Amino acid sequence: MDTISRRKFLKLTGGAIAAGAAAPLLSITEIAEAAINRPLALGTPIVVVVTLYGGNDGLNTVIPYKDPIYYSSRPDISYAANTMLPIGEDLALNPGMAGMKTLWDQKKVAIVRGVGYPNPDHSHFSSMAIWQSGSPVSHVSTGWLGRYIDSQPEDPMLAISLGSVLPPLLAGAKRSGSALPLGGLVVPTGNLAIDCQKLSKVSNRDSKLMAAAATSMRNLFSVSTQVAPVLKLPAPAAVDLPTVNGGNAGGDSNLSQQLDVVAKLIAAGSPTKVWSVSLGGFDTHADEANAQAELLGVVSKSIYKFMSQMKSTNRASDVTIMVYSEFGRRVKGNASQGTDHGTSGPVFLIGEKVKGGFYGDQPSLTKLVDGDLAVTTDFRDIYGTVLESILKTPAEKILGNWSGRTNFLLDK
Amino acid sequence: MATISERVEIARLSHRFGFGPRPGEFASALKMGVSGYRSQTLTVPQIDIGASAIKEPEITDLGKRPAPNTPEVIPFAQAMRFQSQQLLLWWLDRMALSDHGLTERMTWFWHGHWATSIGKINYAMPMYLQNKTLRTHSLGNFKEMARAMINDGALQYWLDGNNSTIKAPNENLSRELMELFILGVNRYSEDDVKALARALTGYQVTNSSGTLTFNIKRHDANPITLLGTTAAFDGQSASDFLVVREDCATFIAERLWYRFVSSTEPLPNNSSIKSAFADRNIASAVKAMASDGAMSDAKNEMVRAPVEWFISLCRALNITPSKLSTPAQLISYLDKLSQTPFSPPNVGGWPADEAWLSSASAQYRIAFGKWILKQGDLSPITTLPQSSRIAKTADWLGVAEWSPRTQGALRNAVGDPEEFVLLAICSPEYLVSA
Repeated sequence: MDTISRRKFLKLTGGAIAAGAAAPLLSITEIAEAAINRPLALGTPIVVVVTLYGGNDGLNTVIPYKDPIYYSSRPDISYAANTMLPIGEDLALNPGMAGMKTLWDQKKVAIVRGVGYPNPDHSHFSSMAIWQSGSPVSHVSTGWLGRYIDSQPEDPMLAISLGSVLPPLLAGAKRSGSALPLGGLVVPTGNLAIDCQKLSKVSNRDSKLMAAAATSMRNLFSVSTQVAPVLKLPAPAAVDLPTVNGGNAGGDSNLSQQLDVVAKLIAAGSPTKVWSVSLGGFDTHADEANAQAELLGVVSKSIYKFMSQMKSTNRASDVTIMVYSEFGRRVKGNASQGTDHGTSGPVFLIGEKVKGGFYGDQPSLTKLVDGDLAVTTDFRDIYGTVLESILKTPAEKILGNWSGRTNFLLDK
Repeated sequence: MATISERVEIARLSHRFGFGPRPGEFASALKMGVSGYRSQTLTVPQIDIGASAIKEPEITDLGKRPAPNTPEVIPFAQAMRFQSQQLLLWWLDRMALSDHGLTERMTWFWHGHWATSIGKINYAMPMYLQNKTLRTHSLGNFKEMARAMINDGALQYWLDGNNSTIKAPNENLSRELMELFILGVNRYSEDDVKALARALTGYQVTNSSGTLTFNIKRHDANPITLLGTTAAFDGQSASDFLVVREDCATFIAERLWYRFVSSTEPLPNNSSIKSAFADRNIASAVKAMASDGAMSDAKNEMVRAPVEWFISLCRALNITPSKLSTPAQLISYLDKLSQTPFSPPNVGGWPADEAWLSSASAQYRIAFGKWILKQGDLSPITTLPQSSRIAKTADWLGVAEWSPRTQGALRNAVGDPEEFVLLAICSPEYLVSA
């Protein structure tokens, strides 16, 4: 119902297409035509990856709230038991995560516990590089979803990251995802458009990076032509949320704005199978408790609103969200009412197709490894399932010979 | 006539060891030849007239933030914003107006290395002091630099040293000191991180001034075992201990290589950069790097980060960044391109190469470029006949050569100087230091 029609698309893109129509080397019409002719087929699975930068404290996200060791290890950082949101198995969600609790009760949330990789690295950069490259053993410069992009036919709309810098996650060896800043892209018009397209043509004299520079400008034209009109549309209504003063009572944040744009584009039928959004600020070495409840509140509210928006489109059952961070944090608090870098943490998978519940073992507070939580699930198990069972692509090319899987999806 | 490989090497020296040529500089560098231009690039003059003409920013200790909802809060917040903006414009001016580029270029490198963000510090004063420290040591001895940085209020506050006590040491500074500043990742163990954190306890920072004090009562003076050596360390002795290790030479050579030569090719074994750094002299390492055969190797191309791109434009167009109208607009463009000095995204500094080449940044670069060109001096090409503009623009901007593709686009716009230059500065050949 909200899928953009061919007619509507042509009408909305009229300006941009007319401007480009005079160009002798015009590819813009072809690209727009292609987008119109191939909106993502209904029922095509879509993955939304939410990266929490800084190392989210997993132990204060999915909290073993009946365990006295939890309270004694971090007296200044633990929450009062009556504010936490119990979800069974002696675990509770962070007090800020009411929206997530609702989705959990609706059995739409899989929580994979103790996720990490062998020999955990405590550095933000190394650990994030490991998660995003999907390669804990050897250093590779491509992202796991970048390698997925490489395996697909070239399409600048296939994978899109919100924000102007592309995360390594979507960097492939041959091709990469596109970056889309909040507010969308504004393309040059008139003569400048013609010349910019000429300037960004493939040249066989280009070095690798020059070719990448040319491609980024070419993609500006192709992505923006398809995206710009859609961004002008109102966001899909969040059907479950009360409306206050013309807006949804979901609060606002950069993450929620990012997910708003994603919701609009999904509703419009953008041929995009992978979306990447992010929120930073989780490096809570100091004064953690309030800050983290606030941040997780943003995550929880934004996702709740997004899921609600999806219901007013016909793609609600196509979307799966994955939330992860580069590591959890140390069990014991430090002197600054914060925690230092740790190891494993929970990964959340959310969607209509998800079989809600717990996966993986909760790391024990009595069997710490050097003061850190043990890793009970390898993240590649989750990636494997995302690639094979959601994106329908062989995992082997992307993750190598990795056989573990986390079966968090409903049986079909 | 200079050969193409001479043009490439001179363009690299100009854009990587400085911020690109002013009008006429590239042509005279070509006449000078590679080795003459290299030694000019590496020789820091006694007096830099361009840089010394820039007034220091008016930055003062603003003291504690007044209580919320008091009348003092508004002028306080305005003063905070004003000082941060003055600080940023002052540094951009130094980059653009220095006669000799190497010192600012190295200060910029070290800012990315010891990456500290005003986002957490809030006050301009500690950031200003840190910037001066980085400049003082930018081509000096790394041992002295590391000592100075251990005692830098902004860095200590940024990495939670302010809150690290014997009762509960905070590992943030300890880890980054080894991982990102001195040794490199995985050249130490988790036990070393915990041990060094204990030795680094006891510092306290007054954040409005950046003043660092040492509180012996909060310090853990017990012996620790650090990288196999058991001794009682404090910040300075721990820093000295790390700096003399061979891993430090490897790491600093790797970082220089990554930012000046190639972010994708690994530092070769037995690199001349590392051996030149044996006594921790930064200038020697930089000289070895500029003279290395790798500087003329075609595969060692680099994307110019947004600040480098912007400053090179200022130099070509005779622009003083602080005089651009308006500074707020300038800062907004830098933000959109995701690179604002004093605000690195995290303690690892800014990314490199492909990260700057998204379709989003292509859009912002066009808009930013248009805005700058309206305020710049285009006479280096408007005074020329159209027939020679394309070739002369390569010399003006310090580009080794244009591809036939780019020449084609430039030819289309040769009668419209603003659009012509806009295309040139957004071309793959200008974005990449080939």
